[in-house]
Amino acid sequence: MSGNLSALLPLLIFMGVMVAISIFVRRQAEGSSFMQHYFVGNRSLGGFVLAMTTVATYSSVSSFVGGPGMAFKIGFGWIYMAVVQVTAIFLVLGIFGKRVALLARKLNAVTVVDIIRARFQSDLLAAIAAFVIVLFFCGTMTAQFVGGAKLFSAVTGYSYEAGLILFGLVVVIYTTIGGFRAVAITDTCCAIMMMVGIVLLLYYVLDAGGGYVAIMQSIETNRPEMLEPFSFGNMPWTIYFTQWLLVGICTIALPQSVVRGISYKDTRGLHHAMMIGTVVVGFMNIGINFTGILAHGVLPLDAEAYGGVDNVIPTAIVTAMPPSLVGLAIIGPLAASISTISGLLIVASSAIVKDIYVHWKERNRQTVDTRQLRLLSMASTAAIGVIVFVIALTPPSLIWLINMFAFGGLETAFFWTLLLGLFWKRANRAGALLSTVGGTIVYCSTQAAGFKIFDLHQITIGISCSLILFLIGTYLGRPSDEETLNKFF
Amino acid sequence: MSDRQKFLQIRREAAFTGLALLALILFWLVAGFGTAGLDIKVMHLPLWAVLGSIGVWGAAILLTFLLTKFVFKDMSFDDGGDRR
Repeated sequence: MSGNLSALLPLLIFMGVMVAISIFVRRQAEGSSFMQHYFVGNRSLGGFVLAMTTVATYSSVSSFVGGPGMAFKIGFGWIYMAVVQVTAIFLVLGIFGKRVALLARKLNAVTVVDIIRARFQSDLLAAIAAFVIVLFFCGTMTAQFVGGAKLFSAVTGYSYEAGLILFGLVVVIYTTIGGFRAVAITDTCCAIMMMVGIVLLLYYVLDAGGGYVAIMQSIETNRPEMLEPFSFGNMPWTIYFTQWLLVGICTIALPQSVVRGISYKDTRGLHHAMMIGTVVVGFMNIGINFTGILAHGVLPLDAEAYGGVDNVIPTAIVTAMPPSLVGLAIIGPLAASISTISGLLIVASSAIVKDIYVHWKERNRQTVDTRQLRLLSMASTAAIGVIVFVIALTPPSLIWLINMFAFGGLETAFFWTLLLGLFWKRANRAGALLSTVGGTIVYCSTQAAGFKIFDLHQITIGISCSLILFLIGTYLGRPSDEETLNKFF
Repeated sequence: MSDRQKFLQIRREAAFTGLALLALILFWLVAGFGTAGLDIKVMHLPLWAVLGSIGVWGAAILLTFLLTKFVFKDMSFDDGGDRR
């Protein structure tokens, strides 16, 4: 195993800081309610941390590697499509932020599934929701592990497995130790490092490419398709349409985003988070994709010549940046990867421990003492992390597709159940069950069969079927009982 | 603020957030596709690329500012008593 040691050092320091934060947070939490602390950080997040953790969990390694690689290939049409993600933070916090915060306090809820269970009075729906979360989160986490480790290997020269062990195990360890609050604070560090990484890479790409004007003139002369919204046919309208659903509107229902509504301190913080989050997510999206386009200044050939779109950013880092700064630049994309993993890991763990095990115990009138709960929660977090880590050791191909598949699956399962369930009195158990189960099955089946309508991503079929099933179930099923409605409306 | 008032306020905020989304989608369409036919350059970039990226980002920031300034209200999460 040999590689660039100077590239490894900043990463080692960064990972060390992440673990130190989680240990510090863990010590600070002594004496508080374990469940509240471990799964929602004692509902104490301020606006800045809330914004950063929501952005960091939402922005994955694909945003930093695959996305700008596609921008390199397609041009400004890709940025025009990617910019729809500026809606992600103000939408989820604006629509669900206060609603779930208020309900969580009223119901003593710690997870999104707690709220779904209380709204629809259904243990079956809660169990299915927890299962869907764990299943699709494992897919997304695998994609993050694989993407991060491949990037690490390409830039540092160390093996894929070394990268996986270094950042993969560290993220599992710090999430296991520190729980949600540690995840939120480390996410904040990650988001800051992502922005630093973008600025650094942009600066050196411009420098190595002969300056902004020279690069743009070269693109205008040699690649005119990059300056056209449809990229001469490479960017059909169907992509624009489905991306609005997949990475824009429907992201409000992602459980890893909605749970952040349970975790903040006050509404003032929420309002700040909406502003900060929108500024940061736009900066990241436009910044990294624009850098991908400007990489033509240092990478004159087509993406395929560098091994495909996933290799564009790693190659640009190695080509444009001085070796002493490569280690710092790689922290940005790896931070995107680990912040998404940690955010998903803690929610997946809560789905198993809180939504299934603790609820089952309570139903059987059994208590779980704090020590047992602590051990179980940490073991569950570690176990999910290790399982995904092992899957990533033999990386599945098409990680980009796995990521998008999981995104669409979660949105199909939860979009109408959360949106209509929390804002429509008439919504009931039958509608939510049909929508969550039926929509997810239809979405997965059409994905497996490769079936599309008008060449649109299967999210359009999944989300439409999910709505139809919700309405059928709602109008055919029994209305929610008065006591539940009084709690919710 | 009673629980009922809080719910109504939250529903109002959610509705306005949805309207902000619609406004942004319209802006996105006009800023990008709507200006793609114009032969205007800003900083060596076609106008549609600037408006469709930085313009949309700026519009999202402006809309979020308007929402948090004029629509969203601070409220306590403590129990607001019986709404009825």
